Amino acid sequence: MKPGFFSQFNRIGAWVLLLFLVTPALIAIPVSLTTKRFLSMPKGNYSLRHFEKLFSSPEWISSFFQSATIGLSTSLLATILGTLCAIGLWRVSSKYSEVVRAFLLLPLIIPQIISAMAFYRLWIPMGLLDSYLGLILAHTILATPLVLITVSASLANFDPKLEQASKNLGASNWTTMRRVILPSVRPGVFAGALFAFILSWDEIVVTLFISKFNVYTLPRRMWNGIRENTDPTVAAAAVVLIAITLIAFVVSAIVSRRQSEQTST
Amino acid sequence: MSNSDHTQGSLQLTDLSKYFGEFCAVNKVSLEIQKGEFLTLLGPSGSGKTTLLMMIAGFVDITSGDIALDGTTIVDIPAEKRNFGMVFQGYALFPHMTVRDNIGYALSVRKRPAKEITERVDEMLELVQLQDFANRKPNQLSGGQQQRVALARALCFAPPVLLLDEPLGALDKKLRVEVQQQLKDIHKHVGTTFIYVTHDQEEALSMSDRIVIMRDGAIEQVGSPYDLYEHPATEFSASFLGKSNFLRRPDGLYALRPEKIDIRAAGNGGEPARLTGAIKSITYFGSMQRIIVSIPDGDELEVDIDSWRNQDPLHEGQQVDMLWQDIAAVKLAEG
Repeated sequence: MKPGFFSQFNRIGAWVLLLFLVTPALIAIPVSLTTKRFLSMPKGNYSLRHFEKLFSSPEWISSFFQSATIGLSTSLLATILGTLCAIGLWRVSSKYSEVVRAFLLLPLIIPQIISAMAFYRLWIPMGLLDSYLGLILAHTILATPLVLITVSASLANFDPKLEQASKNLGASNWTTMRRVILPSVRPGVFAGALFAFILSWDEIVVTLFISKFNVYTLPRRMWNGIRENTDPTVAAAAVVLIAITLIAFVVSAIVSRRQSEQTST
Repeated sequence: MSNSDHTQGSLQLTDLSKYFGEFCAVNKVSLEIQKGEFLTLLGPSGSGKTTLLMMIAGFVDITSGDIALDGTTIVDIPAEKRNFGMVFQGYALFPHMTVRDNIGYALSVRKRPAKEITERVDEMLELVQLQDFANRKPNQLSGGQQQRVALARALCFAPPVLLLDEPLGALDKKLRVEVQQQLKDIHKHVGTTFIYVTHDQEEALSMSDRIVIMRDGAIEQVGSPYDLYEHPATEFSASFLGKSNFLRRPDGLYALRPEKIDIRAAGNGGEPARLTGAIKSITYFGSMQRIIVSIPDGDELEVDIDSWRNQDPLHEGQQVDMLWQDIAAVKLAEG
C-alpha cells in the first residue's frame, strides 16, 4: 500500500526535526577542517592542521585532562550518591519520600546561572573557589539528580518479589542489596554515570563562575578561544568533545543492550 | 537424598488475624499443620490465602494471634531467619544469575564451602531433572523449567517447611497436570511440609493430603480431598470444590453432585423418580456429557453422565426422570 499523505508528512517532518537538532553540532566538523586561520567553512581545501595544533598544544592537552579528571570524579561521586539516594527513597516509599525526591531534583529545575551564583557565594568562604574539589563538588550537585532519575526508573521496573525471594533464602538486607538489587538496577546506574560524566564534561556556566587560573576545563578554553580570537582549534576541540560523548553513548548502549538481553524474561 | 531432618516441620497457627486498616484480610485462623503434610489453602481471590502464606513466610506482620514451628513461636523471627523455603508466584528467579547460582543462593549466603554447594546443587538439579541447564540464565528456560528451578532453589537448603504461592498459575493446562505429578513425587521424596496456595480446585483435589477452604479471610472447612468432596459442610464448600446442585427440602438445604444423579427417559418404569423435568441443554465433553434439566419449580439441575451410558441418546426438550441414592444428597449447615 502506498503510504498516505499523513504518514509521509510525518516521516519528512521527523527528518527535518532531526536535522534541526544535530546540524549545529555537526557544523563543527567541516569548520575544524578549514585551511584558514580563522573560523570559516572550508572551500575545497581541507587540512588537519587545527587538530595537529590541538594535540600539540600543552594548554589544550592540559585542559583535556582536567576536564576528564573532573568529569570522571563527578561521575563517580554523583553515581554513588544518586544510587544510594534512589534506593533509599524507593525503600521508604511514602508521601514524604516523594517530597524529598522533588527537593532533590531542584538542581535540575533551577536555572544554572542561579546555581552558579550560589556556588560562587558559597565557595568563597569555604576556600573552594578555583579548585578541583570546588568544581567537582559543584558538578556533583548538578549531576546527582540525573543519577537519581535513571536509577529510580530502573527500580520502578524491579520486581519486589526478587527482594522477598532473597530474604526468604536467608540473605540479610545488605546481601540482598549487593547481590540482587544492585545487579538488577545496573543499567540505570550506568546510564546515570554516563549522564553525570557528560554533564560535567561540557558544563560551562558554573565553571565560568567558580574557576579562574588553576582549573581550566576544555569547554572553558573553547569559550575563551572564541571570545579572544576566532581560532579554528576551537572547532577541532568541539569535534573531539562530541566524539568522546558519542563514544560514551555507544558504549553505554552496548552495555545496556547486553544487560537487557541477560535480564529480560 | 535426605532433605529436612524430619524432626521439624509442624506448624501451629492460633487465632491468627491480619487487618489492613479496617479491612480484615485474615480472620482468627487456627490450624494445626502436621510435619510432612501436603496442605493446600484453597479459596477465591481475596479469600486471604496468600496473605496467610505471607504471614507464615514472615513478609506480612501479624495483627494478632500466634504462629509456632514445632511449638515454638516464630512471630518475632524476621523472614530471612525463618528458614522456610518459598516458591513465588511468577517464580521470582534472579534474572542475572545462572540456574546453578539461583539454586545455590541460599547456601552461598550461608557461607557454606564451595564444594558442598556444588554437590548439593547437583543433587537438586538431578531432583528436578535440569542437569543440562545448570549454566543457563532463567530467561533461556521454558515456564515449566523455571518453575522447577524455583522449586529446587527453595528446597536446596533443606527447609522444614516449603511455602508455594500458586506455583503453577503461569503454566498452560496440559503442562500443569504434568507438573502436579512431579510436585507430588518430590513432596514424597523430600518429606518436607508443603503449604500450597491455589484457587484451582482440581490442583487442590489431586495433590493435597488436606485442603483448607478459605472464604473472606476465615477457614470455611478443613479436611481431606475425599471428605470435602463427599461431605461439604456449607453451600460455599460444595460449590467451590467441585460442582453441586442445591435442593431445598422442608428440613433444610442439601447438596447433590451432578455425577451422582441417574437420568433416564420419563415413564420407563422401575424405581420411582425422585424428580422429573425437561432437558434444557446437553453439552458434549468427550468422555462425559453435561445435561441441564429444568424442573417444575423453575430451578435447574445439572446432571453429568458418562458418554458411553448415553447410547440411546437423550435429546433436548425430552421429559426425563432423575434418581439418586439417599447418601448422595448431603445436608448442609446454614449460617
